Amino acid sequence: MDLWINYLDQILIYATLALSLNLLLGYAGQVSVAHASFAAVGGYAMGYLTQQYHWNFLVGTLIGMVLAFVIGSLVALPALKLTVEYLILLTLGVSYVILALLVATPSMGGTYGLINLPNADILGWHLRNPIDWVIPSLVGMLFVYAICRRIGESPLGRVLKGIREDPISTQSLGKNVFGYKVAVFGISSSLAAFAGSMLSAWLKLATPGLFGFAFSLTIFAIVIFGGMGNLNGTIFGAVVVVLLEPVLRRVIKMEASRSAVVQLIIYGLALVVLMRVRPQGALPEGFSPWRWLRGQRGPVKRVEMAEGWVPQGNIAVREHAGIDSMPSGGETINEAERRRERSWHDAPVVLQTNGIGKRFGGIVAARDLDIQLRKGTITALVGPNGAGKTTVFNLLTGFIPPDGGSIKLNGEELIGLNPNTVARKGLVRSFQDVRLFSRLTCLQNVMLAVQHQAGENFTTLTFSHKKVKSVEGQTRAKAMDWLGFVGMAEFADVPAGGLSYGQTKLISLARVLATEADVLLLDEPASGIDTKWVDTMLDLIEAVREQGRTVCVVEHNLHVVGRLADHTYFMELGEITAQGTIAELTNTPRLAEAYFGTD
Amino acid sequence: MFAVTWLTVRQLTVDGIFRGCSFGLLGVGFAMILGVTGRFHFAYGFTYTLAVYLAFTFTFRVDWPFWPSAIVAVLLTACLGAGIERVVYRPLANNAGATALLAVFVAALGLGIAGENIIRLFWGSESQAYFGPTQKVYTLWDAVYTNFDVWQGLSGVVIVIVLTLMLRFTSLGRRIKATRSNPDLARTIGINADNTYVICFFIGTLCAGVSAVWYGLNLTVSPDMGAAPVIYSFVVAFLAGTASSPVRVFLIGIVVALIEQYSSIWLSVRWTQSAVFVVLVLYLTYLAFNASTFRTKFRRPKLAGI
Amino acid sequence: MLQITKLQAGYGRKQVVFDVDLTVGHGEILGVFGHNGSGKSTTIRTILGITPVLGGTIEFNGKNVTKSSSRANVKAGMAMIPSERFVFADLTVIDNLLLGAANDPNTDRRAQRLELVRGLFPILVERSGQLAGTMSGGQQRMVSLGMALMANPTLLMLDEPSLGLAPAVVQQIFATVRKLADDEGLSVLLLEQNVGQALRIVDRVSVMRSGRVILEETVEQMRARDSYWELF
Repeated sequence: MDLWINYLDQILIYATLALSLNLLLGYAGQVSVAHASFAAVGGYAMGYLTQQYHWNFLVGTLIGMVLAFVIGSLVALPALKLTVEYLILLTLGVSYVILALLVATPSMGGTYGLINLPNADILGWHLRNPIDWVIPSLVGMLFVYAICRRIGESPLGRVLKGIREDPISTQSLGKNVFGYKVAVFGISSSLAAFAGSMLSAWLKLATPGLFGFAFSLTIFAIVIFGGMGNLNGTIFGAVVVVLLEPVLRRVIKMEASRSAVVQLIIYGLALVVLMRVRPQGALPEGFSPWRWLRGQRGPVKRVEMAEGWVPQGNIAVREHAGIDSMPSGGETINEAERRRERSWHDAPVVLQTNGIGKRFGGIVAARDLDIQLRKGTITALVGPNGAGKTTVFNLLTGFIPPDGGSIKLNGEELIGLNPNTVARKGLVRSFQDVRLFSRLTCLQNVMLAVQHQAGENFTTLTFSHKKVKSVEGQTRAKAMDWLGFVGMAEFADVPAGGLSYGQTKLISLARVLATEADVLLLDEPASGIDTKWVDTMLDLIEAVREQGRTVCVVEHNLHVVGRLADHTYFMELGEITAQGTIAELTNTPRLAEAYFGTD
Repeated sequence: MFAVTWLTVRQLTVDGIFRGCSFGLLGVGFAMILGVTGRFHFAYGFTYTLAVYLAFTFTFRVDWPFWPSAIVAVLLTACLGAGIERVVYRPLANNAGATALLAVFVAALGLGIAGENIIRLFWGSESQAYFGPTQKVYTLWDAVYTNFDVWQGLSGVVIVIVLTLMLRFTSLGRRIKATRSNPDLARTIGINADNTYVICFFIGTLCAGVSAVWYGLNLTVSPDMGAAPVIYSFVVAFLAGTASSPVRVFLIGIVVALIEQYSSIWLSVRWTQSAVFVVLVLYLTYLAFNASTFRTKFRRPKLAGI
Repeated sequence: MLQITKLQAGYGRKQVVFDVDLTVGHGEILGVFGHNGSGKSTTIRTILGITPVLGGTIEFNGKNVTKSSSRANVKAGMAMIPSERFVFADLTVIDNLLLGAANDPNTDRRAQRLELVRGLFPILVERSGQLAGTMSGGQQRMVSLGMALMANPTLLMLDEPSLGLAPAVVQQIFATVRKLADDEGLSVLLLEQNVGQALRIVDRVSVMRSGRVILEETVEQMRARDSYWELF
């Protein structure tokens, strides 16, 4: 009986460690094959302090966690910029270095590690037998589960998922991606140290062999098998992986040496098959066994699009904006355009750049740009292919630091600020290639963009449940409003990856609007979408102008520019060479030459 | 502890160079696979081990002479490597789309674990001695090395030379370079990337197999013997840059081995491995903060960029 | 030579080409104009078989090649030069050229094609050992053109070959393309934003906007326009 209780303890402790990894891997999308060595930090710290100094088990554990937090955060610093394969390699290197350090320290027992650790003492309760361990390890697992769930399934978890799907896009919405990554790496590492301390105290030893690279891979496999981003799946994964061997041995009566080997063969091959048939794991993200038992299969709702579906948008807003159809084409300067240009000149300047430029090696991507964006107007950037229009957006939003000059938003200097800080100050951009978070629903995509969410802050999340809940309600309502505004409310629960291209452009607009930024930079908002939809899109952008927001668009389709723009800058080879109404610009022969080449 | 004799340095240098030929060859093979195909082939260590075990079996169970068994074993393993790409990785990657790298990594991990244990199942878990030709010990300036070391070095150099010539002068070599340099354009001009991938896996696995046979002769064979070399091959390939020429990767392999050997002057033997990893971690950290040099060195932009 | 009818194409759920009809005759140069994102590039990528066809048919040399792979189409005589990253930058010029003929086992024909390319672009002979990525923009364009010609194509699809080049260089490259069409009977699909230069060499014009063909004209009709703005 003791034997099976031992297995139960093992499952609980393995699950604890795997949960800590799932927070990092499943939610934040950061691969780590170093979790066994973070566990080693906890195990060794606890073992050393309890054995040598007779400190209490809990104190030793806590110190191990703090230590692992620091190490984990440090690892996150370079990890921020590395892609998957380099992250695997980095964490692999880190895990070897940590183990080697432990082995090389004589007081840590060298190759043998720390053995014969004292029985753990939890507030006077000495844990001696496997049965004593059931409750502490269960409580420990639930503790880590609760933390991971609290973080993962909250506004903060939404940001982490955003980082997983597309860090650039997350940053463009004003989230401090760097800080979140470092924090989640640290938290995950310290939870791993907690699990490691439990494991060492349970086995009464902390050895290099116990926390080797193979153990990291086992934990990694548990998370993958159970399903990334699903905490219940991780527990299920731990049960399967741990019980495989005893079941082979005791139930199928395989001899001991054989069963250990066969177990590993089965689970190795299972990983291969799993990746082929069910890469999202046994229990995919968002899957809840409780809902499933109640007969609600799958949380993913699919709305099939009717043929010829056209977004309705918020009619009231559009009527309010007084939009009537504009004549297309720009051969003659019409009155409406003149009027709009005049109103542009009367409007106050919101964003002003002076002499910003950027060189990449020998190539001048932008030179001496002086751009003004004015309140409640739409400014357009046009120019031939490769003129550097998107580069301007990257420069303004801080994604590419300019070589010189100044960018003033309402008089405040933006140069030197991170993209997320720029976004929080009220300058937000969209992307040519949309960059939605494809595994999040449309609603979540838009909710992520809402600023000042209490639930995105670690402290508030820990101490102020009520506030988080009420703010979350408001956030949801705001996001639904914006979805309604672009006419996509019925798609709220559909994952963004399941939308058509035109629909993703609308969600992208809703997302930018939900930041409530004063200045919106829209990169080709109408390109690549069906002609039938272009009008809807343009109506929406005009409605945004009527709300008094400042808009700047990059667009190749000159008809779109002609209809939207109050003022247009013409760019060629990284420089602004002309400005005015689109009609004025298109009547300048020299610009035609720049655009179409010489005859 | 710091009393280093000239003899020690000479011995470490000789050891380092021969060991480096092994690392270098492993790195060349892994870079061939990762650099061209983009597959994080973690089961590389398994194919490494399998090559020795097959050679071992042909020699002792089937009673072939050493050379035929070694050659057939290495070729068979290389075919297996190519088969893994064809049967496992390719369908997986096509299925997984954007997350192909992680999916392939996990599958490779599973293959590696399963493979190692299949070896245990058939050949037992104990380490065994593998005898081929008689081991001869030579000395050079008082430093000791064996005939297997020489074979190791020679085969490494020969393979690197052949690969370099192949890449430089043959149509196949051009196709491989083209796929590595610009996969989209390669497809546009009608190069069959799938075949190129399979060939790269064949070549890469071949390198691992050759390296493994000499290693097994020098020491002993055991089912987990692939674990350390595969990690070294990653380190070497990444330090050199996965899109680098075989010569460069090979030389970096020797440098890594020398760092490891020399570090044993100051560090206990247990530590020497970690010296390499410290270098690796520092290098990756450096790369992470110097994006521009990073991009030019590798096939695809590896950084999360705009 | 090439006839596409009612072509629909796109990436996944992003349809970007709608009902496109185009024909190119033997030795003819068809200019396709349109702004960035108008669906030009996707159209030729679809013709070559890189982007999946969502509807419509593609006929090449009288055969239906709607479902053919890019490899089969290249073998059948199609060649395409993308607008960016059109050479193997870290390979030598001669390697680039030889790669163009990678699918042709006939060494005699390869040598013959190489002579043709050398005749057209003597500079490539001088620089044959240089890495293609280190050459000037215009020379890289020549390499790409040479690489395409090595495959002995009957249809050449060029995606904005003038991008980033000085007018004189564009003129030279366009002149070569015209010569190939006249002397070798090469059919060319030329995608351009540089209408001015392209009009000198094309035989007919199609204009695309938002994934559709909005206009088909003769060169004379096109030239007679005051400005091209309304087409973009």
